[in-house]
Amino acid sequence: MNTHPYLRAYMAGIVFPTLVLLVVLTAFCIARFVYQVPVPIERVIIFPMALVPSLFGVWNMFYLWLRPHPHLPIGFHGALLPFVMVPVGIALAGRLGLVTVGSSGLMCLDQHIVPYQYVALAFTIGVIIYYLAWKYLVGFFNQVLGIA
Amino acid sequence: MNDPNDDKIRKLLKQSIHPASQEFERDLWPQMLRRLEERSTGVPWFDWALLALAAVCLFLVPDTIPLLLYHL
Repeated sequence: MNTHPYLRAYMAGIVFPTLVLLVVLTAFCIARFVYQVPVPIERVIIFPMALVPSLFGVWNMFYLWLRPHPHLPIGFHGALLPFVMVPVGIALAGRLGLVTVGSSGLMCLDQHIVPYQYVALAFTIGVIIYYLAWKYLVGFFNQVLGIA
Repeated sequence: MNDPNDDKIRKLLKQSIHPASQEFERDLWPQMLRRLEERSTGVPWFDWALLALAAVCLFLVPDTIPLLLYHL
């Protein structure tokens, strides 16, 4: 009987970002409609809504595929995902006109410059959060779905 | 034809090595469950330290929060 382990890996992978998406979407909506922050929400939300959960699912399928071979523990495997995701996210944000690469930092929405040291700090925090999320949350969902 | 030496060796081996018991003397499953539970509940101090570090950084530099939200 085919138990579809890759489908289960995809499903286990997308649970965490799908739940976080609700928080992110709420934050964007409050910022846009309550505090009148001029955020083009329909363009900003494309990456967190459409690509991030799918990337999590595919990355978890990749982890399952690596399992028979020598592989990293799941936390470190997840910590590598920002190295793929951040360039994709910044490239997409650039294409959508959300971010411009400047000499002193990233220009967001032609209004706010985020210095590169802050970008590096955000990346480091992201790697830490991804490590913990994959180790404890995605690992837990993998156990629940019987692919750990 | 059996060599008398073979019989002697067989006899000596039987005397020195006890036969393996067919059943386990105790149930190993509760012990296994206990070990699994021990493994799943312990969060190492290093992970708590990483979480605290991330929280402090976010608190001190809130400009990084939108960048993080975009990638989560």
